[in-house]
Amino acid sequence: MIPRLLYLPASIGLTLLVLPLAGLLLKVDWPALPALLLSPEALQPLGLSLATASVSTVLCLLLGVPLAVVIARSKPRVAGLLRALVTVPLVLPPLVGGIALLSLLGRGGVLGNSLELVGLRIPFTTAAVVIAQTFVALPFLVIAVEGALRTAGIRYERVAATLGAGRGTVFARITLPLVGPGLLAGTVLSFARALGEFGATALFAGNQAGVTRTMPLAIYTAFNGSGVTTDQAVALSLLLIAVAVIILVLVGTRRASVLS
Amino acid sequence: MTPALWKSAAKALLEANLQLTRGSFSLDLRLTLARGEVLALLGPNGSGKSTVLDLLAGLAIPSRGIVALDGAVLTAPGRFVAPEKRAIGLLGQEPLLFPHLTARANVAFALRVGEARLNAAAARAAADRWLDRVGLNGLGGSVPGALSGGQQQRVALARALAAGPRVLLLDEPMAALDAETAPFMRQLIREQLADTGTSAIIVTHDIVDAVVLADRVAVLHDGALIDEGTTAAVLAAPRNPFVAALAGVNLVVGTVQKGAIVAPDGRTFSVRPADAADLDATGPAAAVFRPASVVVQTEQPRHASPRNVWSARVTGIEPGSGGVRLRTSGDPEIIAELTPAAVADLGLQLGSPVWLSVKATEVSAYRR
Repeated sequence: MIPRLLYLPASIGLTLLVLPLAGLLLKVDWPALPALLLSPEALQPLGLSLATASVSTVLCLLLGVPLAVVIARSKPRVAGLLRALVTVPLVLPPLVGGIALLSLLGRGGVLGNSLELVGLRIPFTTAAVVIAQTFVALPFLVIAVEGALRTAGIRYERVAATLGAGRGTVFARITLPLVGPGLLAGTVLSFARALGEFGATALFAGNQAGVTRTMPLAIYTAFNGSGVTTDQAVALSLLLIAVAVIILVLVGTRRASVLS
Repeated sequence: MTPALWKSAAKALLEANLQLTRGSFSLDLRLTLARGEVLALLGPNGSGKSTVLDLLAGLAIPSRGIVALDGAVLTAPGRFVAPEKRAIGLLGQEPLLFPHLTARANVAFALRVGEARLNAAAARAAADRWLDRVGLNGLGGSVPGALSGGQQQRVALARALAAGPRVLLLDEPMAALDAETAPFMRQLIREQLADTGTSAIIVTHDIVDAVVLADRVAVLHDGALIDEGTTAAVLAAPRNPFVAALAGVNLVVGTVQKGAIVAPDGRTFSVRPADAADLDATGPAAAVFRPASVVVQTEQPRHASPRNVWSARVTGIEPGSGGVRLRTSGDPEIIAELTPAAVADLGLQLGSPVWLSVKATEVSAYRR
């Protein structure tokens, strides 16, 4: 039973989420849309965004799942500290994250100087895009997977061990499948976060077409850019929304088929 | 390790000497298990039974102590063999079937990672044979969620045995099952332990588990073993209130003859018709009935047809939980419980001759 009073704020909330997107759709110049979307100004950032966000998501999985396991299986006090550390980038404005990354890896930065000595320059490269995206997306994956691991508990792992399964086998055949839904949710969240990442990328990687200009930066450029209409920005926004919806639908159907 | 332990470890399959302190709880006991033996570890809640199993399985580390299996040291100061390398299986109250795997895949998992180390195809085929053994033929493709609690526990038993453990630890495996499913599971465990020759320790606070499954009983109380011996011997002479409460039943271990159980002294016990049908043509079995079901008279009852009737002498009169406990002669001795008024009415004293009778419908029977 839902108290009737809740329906009012609930519908206002939903309206707040949906209405701006409807407004965006109304602004779309539909006849010009195909040309705008098939222009290099649209396709290049889209390709770069999909590529960098994919690499970032893989990095998140490779680094985040082990981190989540360590946190979930640590003693409460250690786990609390680690969880707080992981959550910091989540609550940090991405711009601050960009400045932090620059301070570490940029010119004059602690690690940046050393890397420069061996001829490596990270800021304002595609690698910087990936690092910025991973920085902001990793906490989503860690928190989702860690929560799933704690819910699953260690009882199944203990049983598997008494049957003779070594730690690697238990992890691959029992632990990972058990947290499958959490892992999937975390992957989707971190991919979406990487795809939409703007602030840290803008500061740490810049806005160079074909190198660091991902979709959000292309939208910003089109919106603010000299001599370009906002139609381009709207069209690119629509494209980004479409990509996000397609991913959600694909994951949703896969999830449903896994559960059934 | 002391030389004494080396010596006894050579005889016993499993030898453990465990000390553990955890907050205000402390555990200190010595356990042995012979090859092919089934030991029941009895004790009230909180006595440390499950902790003992965790220590044996390598799921917990004792403060001090030794666990040795077939002479190989698994736990000792400075030595700890991981659970997966111990070949000590564990079946708990809950089946804990891996929820993302079918029943077949659960058992196949054990066959792949356990002693057998089968490949995937061989493990699947062998898993189906195991499911057949526990009466789940054709259910291999079901996921755990689609099976009843009893069926899940049968899969869990098949999985635990399929891993080929040297010792199987059973932690109240019937506790989560309903009253109708539990006896079936108990018989299944009995049969499968016997068929596979698996040595086992079963933790329980149900006397029936000990009667049906175990050769020997050890009683754990406040982290220490307070009694140990054959099931009949421990129950016949309870040495603490917990055992006495458990032993608040008459237990007659004997042999089956024509659907009834014959005690060592030759008395025959007719049992409930439902149980009588279950008894093998011959073989060991146990009859269990409550002392309050025993009717005591000073003259031979005449309407004797459905009853077990025999004569005996009073060998003890003690206060009991529900009145007066009357011990009577025989092997085993039979305990009757009656009101103090009845004792006075009948004029019973030590050595009084009495006639005892029990309705067959009050007597449960268990194969052993």
